[in-house]
Amino acid sequence: MKFKAFLTDHGVNLLEKRFLPALDKMGKTCHLYLTRDHAIFLHNLLNGDGIQSIAQFQKEALFEDYRISSQNDDRIAFTIDLSLLHRALRSILTIYTEFGGSHSGDSALNRLQIKLVKKLPPHSSQPMPFLTFETKGYKSAVIQDVPISKPLSRSDVLELQSALDMAQDLPQTLVQVPDMNQLQSFVDRMKHVGDVLNVSITKYGDLHLQISTSLITLGAEFRKLKVVGEQARASPGDDNLTAQTRTRRAIDKGNAMSVQVSVKHFFKSIQCHLAKPDCAFYGIAQQGSCLTVVFQFFVPGTRQTDKSISLHCRLPVLVDSGTN
Amino acid sequence: MSSSAVETESPDLVCELDNVQGMVDALTSVRWKRHQDAVLELSEHGLILIVEDTGCLQAKVYLQRELFVRYEYSATGRPRFGVSLGLFVDCLNTFCIPGHSSTIEFQYPGPDMQLLLKSTDSLSSCTYAEIRTRIPDTISWDYNFEPAGSTPISFTVKSSALKEAIDDLEWPGSSIQITMQPAPPSVTFKGEGHGDLQIDFMYYANMDLLTAFNCDQVVSHRYKYKFLRATTSNIPSSVIKDNRGSKLTIGRGGMLKVQHLVSVAKPSHSHPHVDSVGYQPPSRIAYIEFFVKPQVDEENAYDS
Repeated sequence: MKFKAFLTDHGVNLLEKRFLPALDKMGKTCHLYLTRDHAIFLHNLLNGDGIQSIAQFQKEALFEDYRISSQNDDRIAFTIDLSLLHRALRSILTIYTEFGGSHSGDSALNRLQIKLVKKLPPHSSQPMPFLTFETKGYKSAVIQDVPISKPLSRSDVLELQSALDMAQDLPQTLVQVPDMNQLQSFVDRMKHVGDVLNVSITKYGDLHLQISTSLITLGAEFRKLKVVGEQARASPGDDNLTAQTRTRRAIDKGNAMSVQVSVKHFFKSIQCHLAKPDCAFYGIAQQGSCLTVVFQFFVPGTRQTDKSISLHCRLPVLVDSGTN
Repeated sequence: MSSSAVETESPDLVCELDNVQGMVDALTSVRWKRHQDAVLELSEHGLILIVEDTGCLQAKVYLQRELFVRYEYSATGRPRFGVSLGLFVDCLNTFCIPGHSSTIEFQYPGPDMQLLLKSTDSLSSCTYAEIRTRIPDTISWDYNFEPAGSTPISFTVKSSALKEAIDDLEWPGSSIQITMQPAPPSVTFKGEGHGDLQIDFMYYANMDLLTAFNCDQVVSHRYKYKFLRATTSNIPSSVIKDNRGSKLTIGRGGMLKVQHLVSVAKPSHSHPHVDSVGYQPPSRIAYIEFFVKPQVDEENAYDS
């Protein structure tokens, strides 16, 4: 089992400034799943009830000279502590950037290597697996070892792969969030009021969030959003209704779905905004099995989707939800 | 308490406010603990929110009708209802998204006696809330505030200085003696507990700090620290920044009245397209009053 690659400056920037801060909000540890073509950060795919997040990079988006081999179809997966990974990366960058990154002419002189190693940790007789970063500056070289779990067994990797395949289904209707910052500060304030969030999405492009407890009902409706996938035209009379009535009618007509999720999960999903996506879409999976948020990244300076990066989250639906 | 509104078509009150943050600030200043029941009283003059603690501390927030851009009052009598202060403030908070102007409409009562709120400033997005109200408890203690003598005994101090002084008195803790004397005109806060700490405001020495002083006799009373602290602990940062004065008056029997002014002015940067050039909205202020009962302690409290 071998993995060795060099992080590109773009890759370093993507991870250090954008994805690691975002993924750290999803949960302290995640699976890092490396294949021949992809590096994928996965949260909660094998263990149940948390928010699932999937951040997938084509190897070229992060690495160069990417080499991987394993007896399991060249696939390696392990769990890693994201805050340690982030710290190690930040620390190594202070040395790495002494040379001004790899733009310093002879790039072979100064590269940021990442590899999988087994080492004997201090005060231990058992060798342990590490993800190791290595680079050098003017006067110093630095190695950072990030402890990781034992690589997943063949069957666990298969299970992870099939969970990943299952998690790729897109909802039939997705609506685009108009302003993530606004939504974030709204939900941040809303979460003081209750724990369970009702999310309704219509084919007309309405996103309706509501918290309802015995003491208060608090909601917000965002209308006329961009719809991706199945859409429908709202009846003209709907404009004069209250948000609640409008949503109820849309559900009755089969033009909307509604699920209940944890406010905390919803807030976490918005925090993926730290990865600086260019747009975000919410949708409800078929049969209301989960709430999905898909983030879209553009090729810098264009409006074209950057297919080398993808990020989406799936929010588990609360079981006892559900008059709908 | 009015039930007439249920029968008649129009609700007791429909009003609209364009500075929710100002209202949040005003209400937050009387939020001294996590769970507080508040009573809202409606009248043709505006809204009053009243909170109370163990018969020793009462606070009132006056939101006069002038603060509202629309105020349609059609009740007879003065309807009152109870709400959870924390929930009310948390809920109002969701209506003020930074960098986003928010106009909010209040209506009472809703079909089920709720307090209804909704944002009205955008067609494509709308925030709404329904807050369950209760029948209020009768207020357990009458806070009739009467002047101690012929002239009111009072002083006005910069709000930030007052807050700082009260924060500093946390260390001796438990009970604080406030003494006012005419010669030399001064106010003394003295804490005795784990140690002694005395803070003097000398009128002639600190006229920019102590901006007004009225006292024709020596007055001295003790107050529980936690109640004194409640009067400044959640004072909004806007009040500290404006640094207007807070007025403290000692009434008959040593009852202490603390008054703050909270600006509910419309933020000047919002709605540039509506405000015509050079138009300055009239200064809009919410009044906050705290009433603190003195500690009953005959040896140390006296009106001379």
